[in-house]
Amino acid sequence: MADNLTPTQGSNRNRNVENNFRSERTWRTVFPYNPFIIFLFLALVPAILEAQVEDTLLLPAERLKKLSLEDLMNIEVVSVSMRAEKLSEVASAIQVITDNDIAHSAATRLPELLKLTPNIQMAQANSHDWAITARGFNGLPSAGGIVANKLLVMIDGRSVYSPLFGGVFWDVQNVMLEDVDKIEVVSGPGGTLWGANAVNGVINVVTKSSRETQGLYVSGASGNLLNDMAAVRIGARSRVDTNLYYRIYAQHFDQNSTLFQSGASARDAWDMVQGGFRMDYYPSKANILTLQGDFYGGDENKDSLLTRQITNGQNVLGRFTHVFSDKSDLKIQAYYDRTYRLQPTAVAPFLYSLNTYDLDIQHRFSLGERNSILYGGGYRLEEDNTNRSLTPLSREMPVYNVFIQDEIALFAQKLKMTVGSKFLNNVFTGFEFQPCVRLAWTPGKSQTLWASVSRAVRTPSRFDSDILTSDVKFQSEKVMAYELGYHLSPVKQLTLSFAAFFNHYNQLRSIDQTTSTTTPFIFTNDQRAESWGFEFSGNYQVMEQWRLRGGYTYFDRNIWAVTPAVLPISVAFESMDPKNTWMIQSMLDVTRSLTFDLVGRYVDPVPGAQYSIPDVPAYYTCDARLAWHRKGIEISLVGQNLLQESHIETGRSTIPRAFYAKITCKF
Amino acid sequence: MAVLLAWPVLSFAQALVSVEYQLKAVFLFNFTRFVEWPPEAFTSDQEPFVIGVLGGNPFGSYLEDVGGNEKVNGHRLVIRYFNNYSEIKSCHILYINKTVMNETRDFLSSMNGKPVLTVSDASDFMKRGGIIRFYINKDKKVQLEMNLDAAKAAKLQISSKLIRLTEIYVPK
Repeated sequence: MADNLTPTQGSNRNRNVENNFRSERTWRTVFPYNPFIIFLFLALVPAILEAQVEDTLLLPAERLKKLSLEDLMNIEVVSVSMRAEKLSEVASAIQVITDNDIAHSAATRLPELLKLTPNIQMAQANSHDWAITARGFNGLPSAGGIVANKLLVMIDGRSVYSPLFGGVFWDVQNVMLEDVDKIEVVSGPGGTLWGANAVNGVINVVTKSSRETQGLYVSGASGNLLNDMAAVRIGARSRVDTNLYYRIYAQHFDQNSTLFQSGASARDAWDMVQGGFRMDYYPSKANILTLQGDFYGGDENKDSLLTRQITNGQNVLGRFTHVFSDKSDLKIQAYYDRTYRLQPTAVAPFLYSLNTYDLDIQHRFSLGERNSILYGGGYRLEEDNTNRSLTPLSREMPVYNVFIQDEIALFAQKLKMTVGSKFLNNVFTGFEFQPCVRLAWTPGKSQTLWASVSRAVRTPSRFDSDILTSDVKFQSEKVMAYELGYHLSPVKQLTLSFAAFFNHYNQLRSIDQTTSTTTPFIFTNDQRAESWGFEFSGNYQVMEQWRLRGGYTYFDRNIWAVTPAVLPISVAFESMDPKNTWMIQSMLDVTRSLTFDLVGRYVDPVPGAQYSIPDVPAYYTCDARLAWHRKGIEISLVGQNLLQESHIETGRSTIPRAFYAKITCKF
Repeated sequence: MAVLLAWPVLSFAQALVSVEYQLKAVFLFNFTRFVEWPPEAFTSDQEPFVIGVLGGNPFGSYLEDVGGNEKVNGHRLVIRYFNNYSEIKSCHILYINKTVMNETRDFLSSMNGKPVLTVSDASDFMKRGGIIRFYINKDKKVQLEMNLDAAKAAKLQISSKLIRLTEIYVPK
């Protein structure tokens, strides 16, 4: 259940109907021209301030008509989804990538976008895999950087966190970027609202409703690494019932292989076809019904016999929202998701298929003057099937959860305390409990100081529990997180966010030696860790035509073993993370039709580990994009990773300097 | 599938009505209750009370939702949409979209005391002779600015309940 729990943030766009053609809807219409006096190049900062004036149908005419003039003049014209809260007042470290930021980036796929939020560590492992985490714990880059298990990722409320290894298969998460409304990236535990496995953070990808993606959109791109990419989307409104909007889309990717440092091909070329639909029905001012679904099929490592992989998946999701008032609403959501992955020609062919059935209900209401209560529950059944390596081969994994959270306004809106907890029951470890307390103090309109203490849990995955079996049951990992943060907007054009954290991990996974001859080592929970760090992000509208956003993150950790049986490689297996990273994105309207965008990034070196795992040296990357647009057409030339001919981010593949040209048309 | 191929693309004007314009639509309706029109504003009892929208329509269908079945002093309330000034025959409240500001000053000075309550969001509407202007204050709330002299020239009686909530425009 995604798109409403964290407050919607402002995308610098006034969704005013006069600006009805999206390619002209830039931040220019919101911010007035400002002669730039100070050139801030160091502190680069994202978080976006003005909550956007978003469309809603939450104010039925009958009700509004009854209000007095004073009441009408007291209504805030801000987004009224689940929370009418400005980003700057949120008691957590949230950063947002808006559709505007997406349009001005060089990304062709969802995982590439995640380099735009400095609180995420993103490393590309090969042509189709990424290691993505928040607050550390991108582990050993085995089999394409898959050991990053502390981040919960959802697309429109559908979890894409895999119970196979506890992470995300990024190669099959291909949302059509044009139709993404925003990506909310919360760093820090989200166990109370989002559930287990939101230990270090939550990424919430929200696509636009079909009402906002009307018309025909076509795009095509081609380059040296990206062989071709084509996408088409048609959005329309039903003539039979004008409250029904829908869209369908299809996209195709074909990308070439990367090379190893030796120059040999990594044989990871791939292609993928994906399509889907979305329908949104607004039968009345207070109700919204959404139905959406996608399907995809991909062929990876096409030019390799041993590692060739076929993937396909289908999903369908329905959601009903009823709004009682701007303080109270109800949401019911159900989805079915099927994924399938096969390595047909490997030495030992491997197959994994997963069916997920999920039902969630959530209700928010006000109790008295000061309390806003959010509670809900859900049931999810994951049943998977594999042909080898896991014991049992097939598992049914039901999870039941209930949660409740109360946001209490103390001291006349200046101090807010949020207390809550999620209770869940899972098939590996039984009952788990994830409480959280947050405090937010808003002394003035443009600053908020916040603090929180939370507990979150990572339940075992099949990899933890069912590969190396033993009598010792794998426990869930626990984290206690202590956070402090500060948001401020000293002038209208500048927002800054700071967050500091200290996490203590208990029962962290370890690889232990055993005395047994049949299973010489097992996965168990004999490590502990402490991690600490600092995140800084900001957004600066330098002048009307030029916006800067970016940030810096510092991370460090200490992992130690609880018994001598723990193998030293266990540390690197859990965490190979850089200490310092920063990122800056510049979006400049050179003329009315020409835009020049740049994304610069720096990542600290990551020392190697035992068994000849090499160091990954520090690297700088730079993506540049030059786009010309006129009426409905945009032509762009994009260069990615321009600073070096190739570099390694994680794993063995080098990521090359790449170029592509893209043309998009909107009707 | 055939329906999709027909691309029934609607302009965003119908698709999106922001909270801001929902509120403004309700304000327009509320003006009927706090403003009195002189008797010469209507040629007969059957004549409808017209709220007009000049220039693009930012309200979607919301004005109809708000005013649909209402009556103002016995006159039935109708909403009319105009593309330019020459189309306006009779109108009692006229919302002028920012997009047609160019001709507004001439139009307003040609009104010659016709009893029309002119309303707009345009930032210089008061200078051009308009009566009520919508603006958003720093708390993100919709507020009103009013030119009392222009209202008097249009022979409109504004209730004190409305006046005390608006910012009074003082010509420089």
